[in-house]
Amino acid sequence: MNIHVKTAFGYLRRSPFQAMAATFVLALTFFVATLVSVLVYSSSKLISYFETRPQVIAFLKDDATQDAVAQLQHKLESDTRIKEVKYVGKPEALSIYKKSTINNPKLGELVSPSIFPSSLEFSLSDLSFAQAVIDEVKLEKIVDKVGFTASIGEETKIKDVVGRLRTITTYIRIGGAVFVGMLGLTSFIVLLIIISMRITTRREEVEILDLIGATKGFIRSPIIIEALLYALFGVVLGWVIAFISILYLAPSAVGYFGDIPVLPRDSMGILTLFGAILGIEFVIGFILALAGSLLAVSRVKSAR
Amino acid sequence: MIKFKNVTKKFGSSAALDNISFEIEKGEFVFITGPSGAGKTTLLKLILGEIVPDSGTVMVDDVDIATLKKNDIPFFRQQIGTVFQDFKVLSERTIQENVEVALAVIGLPENQWDERVIHVLKLVGLAKKNNLFPSQLSGGEIQRLSLARALAVNPKLLLADEPTGNLDWETSDSIMKLFEKIHEEGKTVVMATHNLDIIKKHKKRVINIVSGKITEK
Repeated sequence: MNIHVKTAFGYLRRSPFQAMAATFVLALTFFVATLVSVLVYSSSKLISYFETRPQVIAFLKDDATQDAVAQLQHKLESDTRIKEVKYVGKPEALSIYKKSTINNPKLGELVSPSIFPSSLEFSLSDLSFAQAVIDEVKLEKIVDKVGFTASIGEETKIKDVVGRLRTITTYIRIGGAVFVGMLGLTSFIVLLIIISMRITTRREEVEILDLIGATKGFIRSPIIIEALLYALFGVVLGWVIAFISILYLAPSAVGYFGDIPVLPRDSMGILTLFGAILGIEFVIGFILALAGSLLAVSRVKSAR
Repeated sequence: MIKFKNVTKKFGSSAALDNISFEIEKGEFVFITGPSGAGKTTLLKLILGEIVPDSGTVMVDDVDIATLKKNDIPFFRQQIGTVFQDFKVLSERTIQENVEVALAVIGLPENQWDERVIHVLKLVGLAKKNNLFPSQLSGGEIQRLSLARALAVNPKLLLADEPTGNLDWETSDSIMKLFEKIHEEGKTVVMATHNLDIIKKHKKRVINIVSGKITEK
């Protein structure tokens, strides 16, 4: 093991309570940071769900040719305001109808596919585009009528819901950032105090090293490594506790929100989300530790 | 190797060294002697670059100590082995680790440490105690450790500030034999001491300082 890492571990071993204090404060910060990050992710997903939920259905005229339909579909797909364009043919429309009338099978028996128009269904990337897109699609020659799932008196309601969610998300983001910021500042000060104490208690060692020709880098390395170890342990501990807590709560949350994907549904998605959070936390933790330790060691007495 | 030219160093209004000049050649063994407070330690501190003279020049290997940049001082010190009166060993590290730290400071690759550590610890007679901590050693043994650390870096110049100051005659004598041995290997040794018995026994050049002035070269 490198002599500086060995020395840093020696410092931790000799002052376990200082090490625990630093690690726990950092762990608390990163525990809260992980929770806030997940909350921000989930609220964004919630907004996105409500924003894209309303579907526009462009019912096509019976005489629309396959080429014309394909052309319109391509046109819609290349529009950035529009997402998930899907062609629904007459048989598929019948099957959707039958599914929706499953409790009354006679209704299904009375109809044939020919009476259902084929359609192009799509969602919007933002609710505010709805009116403009509907107006444009209505002008297409092969389009007979345009239906909007949120238009029958519900558009305002959905806008209200999205607006309210946006406000809540903004509060979560600002509140979370302030809270995490305050905890981060506390961690920084605790690190600064602990590293300063370490330097004070190691003053004699620092002086001896200085006299035998150790460079500033040599003297500072174990102290900086010690701070980085606090950050490493703090980030991992905080993240692990938050990860386990969220995994424990996830089934209830997913059950409550139903179809709304507030958390990734597959294990790969969960790992990607938490992996990204861990990666960012490592970077922040290391910056915090570096800044705190460098500020503390800058107070080490110069060579003469 | 060492050249003092009209060097004066004051602390407040009192002059620790007052316009002194002398030269020490490469490979010499020189005692710096004089009563307590005469300026012996100040002289060694000037050579080590711990302090700078108020006037005059201190040259070590043709380098003017006062002109050394802050960042160059560590590299300058790495070429000097220093044995301190108060030992200055790292109390929370074992004997072996104390020597290893000095090797790490000069940037010697780790795979060469063992050989060097064993060599110097054998030389000072501490090879079998390499895993002990300084608190488990006697005063003489700690001074040997201090010497081993100084020698490990293979210095051109060995400075010793009262290395036998806290030791009994018998231990002092064994330490002095080690210094003699090191000197025979071609190292320049500058030793501050006020122990006249040692000076008489080891017939070496003496620079005597009294109240900051040289009275005998």
